[in-house]
Amino acid sequence: MKKIWHIGYLDLKLMVKDKAFFFWVLVFPLVFILIFGNLFRGSKTDTKASLIVLNQDKGKWGAYFSEKLKSPGIELAVTKSEPKDYFRMLVIPADFSLKIEKRAAQTLLLKKDEDANMQAGAVAETRIAQAIVKLISELIIYGNHRDIKAFFDSRSPYRDLVRVRTRLPRDTIAKIPSGFDHVIPGILIQFVMMMVLLYGGISVMEDRKRRVLARILYSSASFAELFAGKFLGRVLMGLLQSAILITGGKLFFHLNLGNIFISFLNILVFTLAMACLSIFIGSVLKKEELIVGVSVLLANMFSALGGCWWPAEIVPPAFRTLGMISPAYWAMDVFHKIIFFGKGFAAIWPNLLLLLAFTAVFMALALRFFKINE
Amino acid sequence: MQQTILEIKNLSKSYGETIALANFSLSLKKGEVLGLLGPNGAGKTTLISILSGTLRDFTGSASFKGQDLFSDRRLKNLIGIVPQEMAFYEDLGALENLMFWGGLYDIPKKELKRRALELLAVVELSARAKEPIKKFSGGMKRRLNIAIGLVHQPELLLLDEPTVGIDVQAKVNILDIIRNIGQQGTSVVFTTHQLSEVEQICSRIAIMDKGVVLAEGTLAELIRIVGEKEIVEVSGEFSADAFSAIIRQSDGNGMEILSVTDNQAHLAFADSERIPAMMQHLFKHHLPISDLKIKSPNLEAVFLKMTGRSLRD
Ligand SMILES: Nc1ncnc2c1ncn2[C@@H]1O[C@H](COP(=O)(O)OP(=O)(O)OP(=O)(O)O)[C@@H](O)[C@H]1O
Ligand SMILES: [Mg+2]
Repeated sequence: MKKIWHIGYLDLKLMVKDKAFFFWVLVFPLVFILIFGNLFRGSKTDTKASLIVLNQDKGKWGAYFSEKLKSPGIELAVTKSEPKDYFRMLVIPADFSLKIEKRAAQTLLLKKDEDANMQAGAVAETRIAQAIVKLISELIIYGNHRDIKAFFDSRSPYRDLVRVRTRLPRDTIAKIPSGFDHVIPGILIQFVMMMVLLYGGISVMEDRKRRVLARILYSSASFAELFAGKFLGRVLMGLLQSAILITGGKLFFHLNLGNIFISFLNILVFTLAMACLSIFIGSVLKKEELIVGVSVLLANMFSALGGCWWPAEIVPPAFRTLGMISPAYWAMDVFHKIIFFGKGFAAIWPNLLLLLAFTAVFMALALRFFKINE
Repeated sequence: MQQTILEIKNLSKSYGETIALANFSLSLKKGEVLGLLGPNGAGKTTLISILSGTLRDFTGSASFKGQDLFSDRRLKNLIGIVPQEMAFYEDLGALENLMFWGGLYDIPKKELKRRALELLAVVELSARAKEPIKKFSGGMKRRLNIAIGLVHQPELLLLDEPTVGIDVQAKVNILDIIRNIGQQGTSVVFTTHQLSEVEQICSRIAIMDKGVVLAEGTLAELIRIVGEKEIVEVSGEFSADAFSAIIRQSDGNGMEILSVTDNQAHLAFADSERIPAMMQHLFKHHLPISDLKIKSPNLEAVFLKMTGRSLRD
């Protein structure tokens, strides 16, 4: 075990010593995070359907109506003065109560920002419609008695007579993962692939060429220890890359991974698969340029297919199905489930098993082709 | 009688059609420095690779201190191997490399560091211990390559062409190091195709070609194989066939052909008085000769006699 660690740790050390390391591991992913993060700009606070209610009403009905808008899916803020910035704002006019009392027609104004998320807008508008329906139905009953005191008494039998339930078809995607909580895990997965395949692949090839692999076996280290050491080295590379991006994400982008333990498991099994794949690539390919080409191509293709850049939830179903060949798809799916859909271990363990199956296949290939001589 | 430390018996190995080793046998006594002399493709690297345990599919056996070398991996802790290639990490410094390679053996870290620093002094790299090896000269790299093979203080050191591709000064330096290792009691086998090297530092010499040992012994013993003869080296713009044809027409009494290749031939004469007559014969047949050298018997002559070809890269 000591030898395995000794061999693996050296690969990590060599990667960190590389001149380009800092750029690959931090600068490049940061550029990606900023680009994609801004592509989904504004969505971060908007995914939970924010709604500002500007209540200018002079009577009691405005506040009552605002209460009706409350819902777990909506981030509601009631104010008296118009804010500078908002995604959507519902204006309750000053004569709202007056017109209700008079049974006069009236108009509510809903203002939207051009950047506002459409999906979140639909959620908010549905809620507004529901609140109006409730209010009107209660008004009908109230209208027969005209006992305003009794109505606003919390024990009034007329209150909340109508309930509106929304039920979406099963599997409807009610929320699109977006913002930095989507972008950072996506770029993390992309760069774990890129770094492990690139550095891991090239060093396997170079160590073989330089006869370093053979020389390790001159000692009493066994072939199994050598292989395990190389494998461990690549896992460490992936974990280091992840740790750097998660730390950066937490510090600068308020990254929320939902469940840290599941996130770690997810990153770990994904890294295992990539570690094996990198040994395979470094064993079959003999030229550095080839390994760079194949690694960058694979990492980017898997990223695009797997939903690292844009959420797989928004692509056409056929493309989404195709994406399932990418290990990244399954890792991103875990992240989305725990970050955006509040799911737990029960929902994601099949993904982890699948990633382990990828690992097994890549491991078999790596073992079959890993050799110490050219 | 010194104890036998390494006993190689009938090692054979082929790569497809190519036979690299053919019933190769050799033994080494404790404290000996054995030079294994062989031209390109003789099978030197193949032999070292088999002994290092990194080459499979061979037949034959090798024992180290009486134990089967290939059955117990722990024996490797007692053997140091210096490959022909500079097999180490060029991005790391010399000390870091020694710490890594030494770390593959069960040596306490403190002790390992002490040995590494000591070895750096031996190979005269102390001043550049921390510099990345990328910046080293060829000779410095060769020295580090040797130091890595010594970091676990092996009882037997196998070196594969440790002086190839470096200048004369660096070569002398490395030969001194190897001689010192031998004097401190480590048994050494080193392969080379440099005659002068084995003449200088080896207590015993084995000449090999095409996968077999052709002759072995001390320098004096080997020279006796050729006998008390004068060696004539003939160089010129001739082909091996042309030379042989002309020689066949001479009486050839008391003369031995050691080697004939294009542009060069070696002849040995028991009686030096016969040399002028033979030269006349060659000139008479218009052999284009550009250079003639008369030498006393040496290792080169033995080598030529045994392999029929000269030792050039
Ligand atoms: N991997 C290989 N595949 C096929 N043939 C090989 C291989 N390695 C060596 N050989 C052949 O085996 C023979 C012995 O090679 P080896 O490398 O052992 O010679 P050597 O004495 O070390 O030569 P050199 O002085 O050039 O290093 C040669 O004919 C060589 O071509
Ligand atoms: Mg060789």
